[in-house]
Amino acid sequence: MLEGRGLGKSFGRTRALDDVSLTISEGEVVAVTGPSGAGKSTLLHCLAGVVRPEAGEVLLDGRRIDSLPEPESTKVRRESFGVVFQFGELVPELTAVENVALPLLFSRRGRQEAMTAAAEWLARLEVSDCADQRIGELSGGQRQRVAVARALVTGPRVVFADEPTGALDTIGGEQVMSALISAARAGRAAVVLVTHDNRVAAYADREVALRDGSVLAGVQR
Amino acid sequence: MTTGHVLLGFLVERAKHGYELKKEHDHRLAGAKPLAYGQVYATLQRLERDGLAEVAETQQEGGPERTLYAITADGKAELERWLNAVEPSAPFVASPLFARVAVAGKDADGFLVLQREAHLARMRELTAEKASGSPAQVLAADYALHHLDADLRWIETALARMKEHDDA
Amino acid sequence: MITVSRMLNRGRSRAERVRAWLVAAGAAVATFLVCTAVRLADFEDEGGSLTGLALALLAVPVAGLVHQANRLASATRERRLAALRLAGAAPGDVRWLGALEGGVLALVGSSGGGVIYVLTHLSGPLLPVPVVVALVTLGGGVSGARAGRHVVASPLGVVRRARVRGPRVRDLILFGAGVGLFVLGAVVKGGFPFVGKYGSGVVMAAGLVLLLFGVTLAATWVVRACARRVGRRARLAEALLAARLVEADPRAWARALSVVSLTVFFGAMAGAQQAMVGYWQAHALVDVALLVALVTSAVALVVHQAEELIDLRRSFSALAASGVPESSLSGVLVRQAVIAASPVCVVAAVSGVAVVVVTTLDVYQVQWLGWAAGRAVVMAGVGVLAAVLVALAARPLLRGALSTDVRA
Repeated sequence: MLEGRGLGKSFGRTRALDDVSLTISEGEVVAVTGPSGAGKSTLLHCLAGVVRPEAGEVLLDGRRIDSLPEPESTKVRRESFGVVFQFGELVPELTAVENVALPLLFSRRGRQEAMTAAAEWLARLEVSDCADQRIGELSGGQRQRVAVARALVTGPRVVFADEPTGALDTIGGEQVMSALISAARAGRAAVVLVTHDNRVAAYADREVALRDGSVLAGVQR
Repeated sequence: MTTGHVLLGFLVERAKHGYELKKEHDHRLAGAKPLAYGQVYATLQRLERDGLAEVAETQQEGGPERTLYAITADGKAELERWLNAVEPSAPFVASPLFARVAVAGKDADGFLVLQREAHLARMRELTAEKASGSPAQVLAADYALHHLDADLRWIETALARMKEHDDA
Repeated sequence: MITVSRMLNRGRSRAERVRAWLVAAGAAVATFLVCTAVRLADFEDEGGSLTGLALALLAVPVAGLVHQANRLASATRERRLAALRLAGAAPGDVRWLGALEGGVLALVGSSGGGVIYVLTHLSGPLLPVPVVVALVTLGGGVSGARAGRHVVASPLGVVRRARVRGPRVRDLILFGAGVGLFVLGAVVKGGFPFVGKYGSGVVMAAGLVLLLFGVTLAATWVVRACARRVGRRARLAEALLAARLVEADPRAWARALSVVSLTVFFGAMAGAQQAMVGYWQAHALVDVALLVALVTSAVALVVHQAEELIDLRRSFSALAASGVPESSLSGVLVRQAVIAASPVCVVAAVSGVAVVVVTTLDVYQVQWLGWAAGRAVVMAGVGVLAAVLVALAARPLLRGALSTDVRA
């Protein structure tokens, strides 16, 4: 469903990504692993349409999305993708439920509808208690679960998660991961999971290991 | 004599017979190798010989004879000592994984990549088991996961070091 | 301490150099305005002193800008000051560094302004110039010392967003004292026991300044109340986000808008006055001064917008990554400007007219109100428009903040 072919990207003289190809099927959970600086986040940004690759192409259902003009690309991101970052990157001035409702409101859904859907997602991720709290009042684990809810509320085809448990302890990370995986499976969304933590990678169906911008030989199938 | 200590621990609650102890062992130490009946009875006899456990009662209700074992005061003291003893940090690395890499040197990287795959596959299984497991199983899975993770990290470091040497 | 200050100076970022320029330029303008005002007030002519008063009061918005500019690039500065605290600087040391930086910049700027004034008014009395320069320098130092006070309090975990504070009793006292002094001056007129015939003018001016500070502080409350109302009813994501952002930090908006509200206030006041008495030349001068003030307000808003974008960068680029178009985010900025500026400008315009009408109730004629109200509406509109234009102009800045290519 989502495919990257021969992706390449440089930052200055550093070759962050060099001829990387991978295919992600419907509802599949794929871990992108590797030490820091291996090009994990760059690969995720290229696939998610946040960064344009210099070489290669990205296809969603056979349609090229890496060369779309910005408004189109934005539309694809909004309708088909969800993102979770290491620190959630939620809007601190909004309450948890408002943060989750935000993508729906930006898609011009009604306030009532958006708020109801957001509350349902918070309940599914067991963070209903903090619905009306601001982000600053939440614990790291709660924040990440709110971020997962925000990524999934639009019913995306693919959820991109960049070190979603990076700032959490073992138990907190585990709760966020099981919430993310089970919610994604329930919504039949694929997950691209960038992590340097093997225990997080173990939640995935398979692994794509990167070293110095390339796929490590013998691991990808 | 770890199995003996584990059985003593189960006897603190009340007197139990061998079959009960085997069931409890296999449930609470999920992930460990299941105990054989013969081993249970041999261990109980050894405990009795050392004065750490004693026969409390012999029941016979139609079926085969069943012996209830109880913990003694000495047994309690021994259990207490064991629970508070610090496990010595391993002075030597004794792992086939390490030995193989030490022998193969730089040529081990192909093997390490394959080993990594195998480890990660097992970690995936364990993670999936955790989702539906009992608390005891989750505890056991966590233990295994952390150990596999430690191996994996060492493999990563080993691969990076070999590359460093190649570059140098 | 001076060594440390010079070491820090060498490592300054671009934003901090902009701040230095703004502070110095603001100090120069303020010095020039006050010197001119003092000279005009020396004339034995009521029209002249009226203009002088207006000019002197315009120095207030300029001073406001200097204070605002002192807070520019505060994120970088706060991080730096926090590091200094961790490196063993006492709170007093940090305050000293701030005062030194602000004071030196103000000294350079106001000396420049003083020189320009002296060159253009060689014949006039030059005595007030050094006094004004000294006062402006002092003001710069105090402002600089206050700019880093959050950091002074907590070296670890720099307070990025201070807790929202409602209007305090102190604000109301300021407000009340201002009104009292102004009315007192207007009522007693010439019969003051000190400063001769200018006594009432001085008291009224002091009252006005207090009143305006009170209004600015109260603006925090007005802005927050308005934002809360909008937030509760918002149907669009842009409106909800804008309202919540304003609600979370109404003080920053009130501070940035203080210069705008002062301009609107004076504009409305001048309008109400112009309807009454006919010192046309003086009025024209006041209008020119208002234009200057308007430009000043715009600069203050730009400064605030830039500061805000730095704060919003992370959450906005996360939103952009999840598919929120840039135009929507720009719409958030515009809506924020409307939500914050409308109530403040309306209140400023109404109180501007009210001050004139109330103090001259015995002679004010109803037909003058039309002109006064017209001017007030125009001034309020201009104020909101300025805020919206600045928000629109911030689009390139927004694009820069969102560009993900810079982060690997």
